[in-house]
Amino acid sequence: MLLAREYVLLRRLQRWLRSLQSEDAPEAAGVWGDVVSAIARLQRRRQYHKRRLLQLLRELRRSTAAIPDGVVVLNPQAEILWFNRTAGRLLHLRARSDVGMRIDNLIRQPEFVAYVRVGDYAQPIVVQAAGEEERYLQIQLVPYGAGQSLMLVRDVTRSQQLEAMRKDFVANASHELRSPLTVIAGYLETISQEQALDQQLVGPIEEMRRQAARMTGIIEDLLSLSKLEATQSTAVEQPIDVGALMVQLRRDVAPRLNPATVVQLEARSALGLLGDEVQMQSAFANLLDNAAKYTPGGGTISLRWWSDAAGGHFSVHDTGIGIAAEHIPRLTERFYRVDAGRSRATGGSGLGLAIVKHVLQRHDATLHIVSNEGYGSTFRCDFPPARLVELQHAAVG
Amino acid sequence: MSLQVRYSKGMEAADLTHHTSRRFNEDLERVRNKVLAMGGFVEEQLSGALMALINGDSLLGRAVAQKDHEVNGMEVSIDEECSRILATRAPAAGDLRMIVATIKAITDLERIGDECEKIAQIGARLANDERPADRYREIKHLGRVVQGMVHDALDAFARLDADLAVRTARSDRQVDEEYESIQRQCITFMMEDPRMIRRAIDIMWVVRSLERVGDHAKNVCEYVIYMVHGKDVRHISLDRVEQELIARRAHG
Repeated sequence: MLLAREYVLLRRLQRWLRSLQSEDAPEAAGVWGDVVSAIARLQRRRQYHKRRLLQLLRELRRSTAAIPDGVVVLNPQAEILWFNRTAGRLLHLRARSDVGMRIDNLIRQPEFVAYVRVGDYAQPIVVQAAGEEERYLQIQLVPYGAGQSLMLVRDVTRSQQLEAMRKDFVANASHELRSPLTVIAGYLETISQEQALDQQLVGPIEEMRRQAARMTGIIEDLLSLSKLEATQSTAVEQPIDVGALMVQLRRDVAPRLNPATVVQLEARSALGLLGDEVQMQSAFANLLDNAAKYTPGGGTISLRWWSDAAGGHFSVHDTGIGIAAEHIPRLTERFYRVDAGRSRATGGSGLGLAIVKHVLQRHDATLHIVSNEGYGSTFRCDFPPARLVELQHAAVG
Repeated sequence: MSLQVRYSKGMEAADLTHHTSRRFNEDLERVRNKVLAMGGFVEEQLSGALMALINGDSLLGRAVAQKDHEVNGMEVSIDEECSRILATRAPAAGDLRMIVATIKAITDLERIGDECEKIAQIGARLANDERPADRYREIKHLGRVVQGMVHDALDAFARLDADLAVRTARSDRQVDEEYESIQRQCITFMMEDPRMIRRAIDIMWVVRSLERVGDHAKNVCEYVIYMVHGKDVRHISLDRVEQELIARRAHG
């Protein structure tokens, strides 16, 4: 009899545990009652936690979905785990079918595919949205956890358009300014050669000519800078014989050099550099011009070209006046002046180093500046190993 | 690294019954990724070529033409990998169809690359001339349709989406119509002003290339349908294909 009751209770307990509904806990007394209420307590606590977790999860999802930027969660194989609505809209992803697909199978812009595969996510990239010429997306991957990453997508069409407008404006304005300036410079040239010129006017005319020449230089630099910006990649890449280029650079700079200054050449690598020769020459010439300008009292300028495991290096070292440390980070900004009076005296446009920076950027190279005020400066361009090539001399062919 | 370890995981055990090894799956996956990367590259070549023509950018045109050899390289590499899989893994059923469809699709993608090279070269040459008053409005429009086709064909390939493939293949008709209309326009120009003949012929070449790109995109769509449904739809009207697909879905 007792055994039968125990058995019935046990069966009820079993049934209850199976269904896990806290309401219909079997009524029992004694030890069984304790067991039942202990289980019921555990059960209630579990359900409470589950509800809280679910709520938290729902809130998290809702808040991520509400982020105005696109968010895609990727696993280590770059497969999509989850994405919010904005990402779906910007990247044309489909909620049901695209989960589990590799992101670079759907976003196929070569730049993006390379970005995902190379795995250097320090900088975001900007890609043109597929099928919408006028739409630009900025994408950045943020790694977290064990190989997962968060992909952030933002529509940057507006800022890209503004940037394009700015570039167009600079290019058009400089182009329009060039023609009248040519006329002015031409007449000044003629007038200055006039024999019957009033002695009082000789000085002012000469100054006007100098300023017109300076303005022409600025406009030329602006134009070449906007040309650099307008084309995305180097169009024609060919092996450049840096040694020969250095000889030519020295010849070109000679007229602007203090006669007491010596230019030394050191080409320690027989390798060539793969790139756009015209752009490279203008970048190196700008560095050399700067060295010539700021080595006024006669000194030594050395051009070096060497290669090692880290790649190719081109440097311009001078024994000139040098640059104070606080100016170095800002040197490549447009129109940045270390000393307003000084640059006007030397006739620079303030754009030379900006051009250098642009040319180097599109050749995957970086610029390093080391300077000691009063003792001189070194500008070094570091090119990656992939840019080094064997030079094919004419004799081989 | 014993078999037991693998069998202990439910998912992979199921996979093993399907494929002799996980490596095989990885091989197929890698081929797919490569095809789609090649597709992405070709898409960019197409948009670059059109941009070079429309904006009169000779530098861009030359750069695009120069990059065509990369497309050829990708085709060769994928082709080799497919041959290797066929020889060493002897795939069957859906996997075999995937490999066959891939081998065909990359041929078409490579041809699209060739057409892009032609457009880019013409674009680079025409950059020196003055652009027409309408700034190639018709070509721009046709180009957009064709670009959309290539993109959707590759999307269908990535998602194994036969419906999208059918829809995309259909838009080839629109491309053909626009091709004819631009052709007629060019003939009118040539009759009105014989000095226009040279340029009109160049334009015709571009339009012809775009029409061919549309055809190749359509082919890729057909391979997708073949890959998904195991049905060769190459010489059947699209209406019938669609009807059959709907019927098949209704049954199962």
